Amino acid sequence: MQRRLGQGLWLSFISTPLVFIITFLIFWAFSPGHRFVDPRNLAAIAKLTPDLGVVALGIGVLMICGEFDLSIASVLPLCSFLFAQLLIAGVDPFAALALMIPVGASLGLINGVLVTRTGLPSFIITLSMLLFWRGVLYVVSGLMPISILPYVPTDSDFTHFLTGLVGPVPVQLLWFLGIAVVLGIVLHLGRFGNWIYATGSNPDAARAMGIDTRLVKMVCYMIVGALCAFAGIMQATRLGSFTASQGIGFELKAVAAVVVGGVSLRGGVGNMLGIALGVFIIQIIDNGLILLQVPVFGVNTFIGLAVILFVIINNLANRQFAEQTA
Amino acid sequence: MSSQKMHRRDFLAVTAAAAAGGLLSPMMVSEAMAAPKGQKPAEGMYFRLVTHGADDPFWAVVKQGMMDAAELYGCKAEIDLPGSDLALQQKKFQEAVASKPDGIALVINDDQAWDKPVEDALAAGIPVIGINNDDKEGAAGNKRLCYIGQNERRAGYVIGRTLFEAGKAKGIDLSKAHVAMCGEVPTAMYAQVRFAGVKDAADEFGITSIELFDGGGIEMTTVEQRMTAYLLAHPETTFLLGAGGIGTDRLTSVLKNAGKAPGEILAGGFDTTPGTVEGLKSDYVLATIDQQQYLQGYFAVVVLYLYNKFRLTPNIDTGGYLVTKENIEFIEPLSGKYR
Repeated sequence: MQRRLGQGLWLSFISTPLVFIITFLIFWAFSPGHRFVDPRNLAAIAKLTPDLGVVALGIGVLMICGEFDLSIASVLPLCSFLFAQLLIAGVDPFAALALMIPVGASLGLINGVLVTRTGLPSFIITLSMLLFWRGVLYVVSGLMPISILPYVPTDSDFTHFLTGLVGPVPVQLLWFLGIAVVLGIVLHLGRFGNWIYATGSNPDAARAMGIDTRLVKMVCYMIVGALCAFAGIMQATRLGSFTASQGIGFELKAVAAVVVGGVSLRGGVGNMLGIALGVFIIQIIDNGLILLQVPVFGVNTFIGLAVILFVIINNLANRQFAEQTA
Repeated sequence: MSSQKMHRRDFLAVTAAAAAGGLLSPMMVSEAMAAPKGQKPAEGMYFRLVTHGADDPFWAVVKQGMMDAAELYGCKAEIDLPGSDLALQQKKFQEAVASKPDGIALVINDDQAWDKPVEDALAAGIPVIGINNDDKEGAAGNKRLCYIGQNERRAGYVIGRTLFEAGKAKGIDLSKAHVAMCGEVPTAMYAQVRFAGVKDAADEFGITSIELFDGGGIEMTTVEQRMTAYLLAHPETTFLLGAGGIGTDRLTSVLKNAGKAPGEILAGGFDTTPGTVEGLKSDYVLATIDQQQYLQGYFAVVVLYLYNKFRLTPNIDTGGYLVTKENIEFIEPLSGKYR
C-alpha cells in the first residue's frame, strides 16, 4: 500500500486537485456574470465530459502500466456501429450493450497481444490499429450515419439508463464517477493495482518478482477496449445516431487529460483521482476560456500551454517527492 | 432508336447523362447505345475523387452518389477523404495523377494551392473537374474543366435570409441582433464562403453583429461542448447557425443544453443529418440547406465519363435546396444516404 501511495502519489495527489480547484475558482470568479457556475453550464459539462472521460480513465490505467493506446479513436466508433447493427437486427438495447462490452474488450485484447508479443512500441502498434479499424469502419459503414432513435427513443428505459437524469445530475456523470471508483479500487487497493504500478515503473523488476507483465498489460488493454465500447454506446445513445466521426481526436485528448492528471508518460506514476480530475481540468479550461470570451480561435493555444504547465508542475512535484524519499 | 431493346441500366445511364448538362442529343443516345449488349457505357474507365472531406455523414452521401454512378456506368471510382489536411490532399492528388486515371474530380479548397497541380495534370492529359468547392474566381482562377457543386456564397445567403426574415416576422429588432455561426473547421473555404453569404444577408437586413467561431473539429461531442459554451457566453445571440453538417446536427442539443425553448433562438444550417432532421421536426431548427451532395459524387462520375466520350464540360449547380418542417417528411427517409 505504502508503495502504491509512493511513486509520486503523495504530492501529485495534492497537486492535481489543487490545480482543479484553482482552475474552477478562476473561471467562477472571472467569467462574466459568473456564467461558469450557471447550472446550465455545469450540467452541460457533466453531461458531455464523460464521453471522453470514460475512455480516459482506462487510458490512465494503461499509461500507469507503461503503455499507450491510440486506437481508441477507431475502436469507439466501431463499437458504436456494431451496437447500431445489433439494434437493427432486433437485439434488445440492454442485451446489445451487454454483448458489446466483451467485444470492445476483445478489440483491446488484440492490441495487448500485438504489443506484448511483438515487443514493438505500443505507440506504433496502436497507431497502426487506429488506421486499421478506421479503414474497416469506412468499409463496413460506408461512412453512413445510422439513426438509432427508432430502436432507442429519447424516452426509452435504455436512454434513461445511459443518458438520463437523476435529479439534476446527468447519468453520464454518475457512470463516469462509478467507473472511476471501481478502477480506483482496482488500482489502489487490490493486488492487481500493485502489479500495474510495478509493470509500469520497472518491468524487469516486476518480472523478477514473478509478475506476469504481459498478462497485466493485456488486461489493461482489455479494460480500455471495454470502456471504448461503453463510451461509444453512451455517446451514440445521446446523439441518437451512430456517426463515423465519433471519437475522432480522443486518442490525443485522452493522453493530454491523463498527463494533466499527473500520470507519467514513462509509466508507474499516477492515481485515479488525478486522472478523473485531469479530464475535467481540460474540459473546464476549454469551456471557461470561451465563457471568458477569449477569441474562440485562440482556445486551443491556451489548452496547449496549460498542458505544458501542468506537466511541469507534476514533474516538479514528483521529483521533489523522489528526492525526499531518496 | 434502334430495334435493339434498350436495357433499363442503359436508359438510366443515358437519362442521367442527359440530366447532367441538359444535353440529351441524338448523338449521345446513339453513342451510349453503341456499347455492346451487356456492356456498360464506361467499362474500363477509372475515376478518382480527391476531396478534402472526412469520415462524416456529408461525405458518406457524396461517396454513395459516386458508387451508384460507377455501378450504373460500369466504371471504377474511388474517393479520398484526407480529413481537411491540405498537404495530405495534395499528396493524394499526386498519387491519383500517377495512377493515370481517366479523370479526377477535385475539391478546389484553396485558391492558390491547386492552380499548378491542376495545370500539370491537364498537361499530362488527365481531365480534372472541380466538385464541392471551387476557386473564388471560378474558371478564371483555376483551369479545371468545369465545376459541379453548390454556389456556397449563395447558399449562405439563402439560409441567412431565411432566418432573418423569420426574425423580422417575429418582430425582433435586427439592428440589435447577434448572429453566431459555428464552423467545425472554420478555416476551411466552405465555412468562410458560406459565412460570407450569411454576412451578405445580414448586411441586407441591417445586422452588424456577426461572428464565425471555432467548433473544435468534426467530433460531435467536442462541437456540442464548444457551441454550448459559446451560446452561454453570448446570451445576446439571436441567430445560431452551423456552417456544416456536424454543427447543424448539434443545434438542437445545444439549444436544449442552454435551456432554450424551440424558436427562442432562430437556428439553421446545412445538410440533413439525423440530428438536423429531429431538430426540424421539433422546431428547434428552422431551416437547413441541402446541397444535394449526392449529385456531386454522382455527376462527378457522369461528367468525367461524358468528357472522355464527347469532351463535354457542363457546370452544374447542385445546391440551395431549402429544407423546412414543411418538406422534411419527404427528405427524412433519404437522410444519411441520398440527402
